[in-house]
Amino acid sequence: MSKVVLEHLHCWYGPTHAVDDVNLVVEDGELCVLLGPTGCGKTSTLRMIAGFVRPASGDIYLDGQRINDLYPGDRNIAMIFQSYALYPHMTVREQFAFPLKASRMSAQEIKERIQETADFLHMHEFLDRYPGELSAGQQQRVAVGRALIRRPKLFLMDEPLSQLDARLRVEMRATLRRLQQDLGITTIYVTHDQLEAQSVADKIVVMNLGRIQQIGSSLEIYGNPANLFVAGFIGSPPMNFLDCHLEQREGQVYVCNDNFAFPLRPDLARRVEQTLKVSQTFRVSQQLVLGIRPEHIRLSPEAKANAIPTEVYVLEPQSNELVVDLKLGDLILKARGDKREMGFRPQLSQQVWMEFQQEHLHLFDKDSEDCII
Amino acid sequence: MKTFKRVLGVVLALLVAAVFLFPLLWILLSSFKTKLELLAVPPVFIFRPTLQNYINAFNSDFPTQVRNSLIIAISTTVISITLGSLTAYGFSRYSIKGSDFLQFWILSLRMLPAIAVVVPFYLVFRTLKLLDTHIALIMVYCLFNISFAVWVLKGFFDEIPIELEEAAMLDGYSPPQVFLKVSLPLARAGLATTAIFCLIQSLNEFLLAVSLTTRVADTAPVGLSKVQTLMGVDWGLLSAGSIVFMLPVVIFTIIVRNELVRGMSFGRMR
Repeated sequence: MSKVVLEHLHCWYGPTHAVDDVNLVVEDGELCVLLGPTGCGKTSTLRMIAGFVRPASGDIYLDGQRINDLYPGDRNIAMIFQSYALYPHMTVREQFAFPLKASRMSAQEIKERIQETADFLHMHEFLDRYPGELSAGQQQRVAVGRALIRRPKLFLMDEPLSQLDARLRVEMRATLRRLQQDLGITTIYVTHDQLEAQSVADKIVVMNLGRIQQIGSSLEIYGNPANLFVAGFIGSPPMNFLDCHLEQREGQVYVCNDNFAFPLRPDLARRVEQTLKVSQTFRVSQQLVLGIRPEHIRLSPEAKANAIPTEVYVLEPQSNELVVDLKLGDLILKARGDKREMGFRPQLSQQVWMEFQQEHLHLFDKDSEDCII
Repeated sequence: MKTFKRVLGVVLALLVAAVFLFPLLWILLSSFKTKLELLAVPPVFIFRPTLQNYINAFNSDFPTQVRNSLIIAISTTVISITLGSLTAYGFSRYSIKGSDFLQFWILSLRMLPAIAVVVPFYLVFRTLKLLDTHIALIMVYCLFNISFAVWVLKGFFDEIPIELEEAAMLDGYSPPQVFLKVSLPLARAGLATTAIFCLIQSLNEFLLAVSLTTRVADTAPVGLSKVQTLMGVDWGLLSAGSIVFMLPVVIFTIIVRNELVRGMSFGRMR
């Protein structure tokens, strides 16, 4: 019913190419998260959809209708701002009525809508208060209510939780997600917090430097990052990166660098070979980057075949998990695991052997930064 | 020690207030004195008050002059606030070519010493046959007050977060409606402050008023100055007139005092 399509969207701020050829389809009822660091173009994209910024070129469609030239108020879009943008001079009731009055709704109908929205958000006792008299969490709910009450085709949320404290943020993100699913409103959600993105999104769009880096479900983006940027941005602690190259030894492909060499599983080696053959740029000495997530490094206190010896550098206990910083040459790698499943208790400066779970291993081209496997 | 400091602070404040309020008290007392009591040395503070000075004032040209003053001051204030807020909003929200230059130019009008323009204005209004009319003074006062209003109000509009206006745009309001329903109410403190200053400015103005009016449109300050005659100064009448003339500003200030405190402190709005 309300599907959003962005086609070849560009936006310039002076000499800055803020949004660079963004193409995106958000299906009806879907929650799509635009994720990226500050200045990646996610908010600019959102502001173009809202109509505050005119795209330099490209088209925005809502429900099949091109809305580039529509006034923001005619787009039937509601937005939750980072600062909530509650009108300080209006009570909650007046805030709720404000968008309805613009559409010349009858007083009776406005009253019913306010009642209904207040029921839905449990906001009755706050209806006659001013925003200044409400807590951050309550203000947030008012912002949600004001957006909801118009029954918009599309919901835009610009870092809606960034002003809340950590605990409330976790609570509100579940509430927002539940609300969005109950109402089935198509939503575009901007955040720089990858955990928040993963916990609410149907679809994540990772952006950097104005360009879309990857579009996919949180699992896809976590499991098969398209390039080095996505791999490094998603996951906490972030993925470990090691410069390496491939070598052919005794009929097996080895992943080598100054500190280690281990054989690549034959099926993975074949995939690497195929990918590189297609790209036509493969040389045996080509510089690659190995990526492995902390949770995919297995540690053991004893030497094993093909395991890499390292030294425990720092221990970071986290409730039931343990993050172990490992020193490998000049590099620090992080490994993460359940305290009980680790099988031993690592000590500071202890020598341990690490193994990479090869099904979760990634190789990236160092120049193009694209994922090879 | 702490209480001592606080007491000292209060005493100091009272002293300063007394210094500032004493002339006012003097005028107030004078307005109820007879001629003899007025000139008594040492001054008398306990006497039988008389309303004769007020009665004399109301039987002279003074009521007409107050009316003139009010017509001119209120018109000036309304026009200055209206045009000033629109201009200030424009400068605050839209990127205008040469914006800095234009703003400085508007401010520079305010720096113009009145004495420098008295004669040119006199000639202009004589040619236009507008001497001794309300319109002439309103136009001249607007020249000074609009530039002031633009500068003060721009600061207030700059402080309103742009998201509030964007939210109102998304809520379905056109830019003029956003201005009227969101920006203007939020700049309330600024409007009150500006209005008070414009009002005081145009009520108190003397030089231009005395040069551009003669009898029909002369304002209260001009009228009061005419109390100084060859026969000496009627201090009682002058005091009574001054007290009456103070009332409009005092009343208006009391009405908007809450906004005024916020406006004067230029407090950040959230």
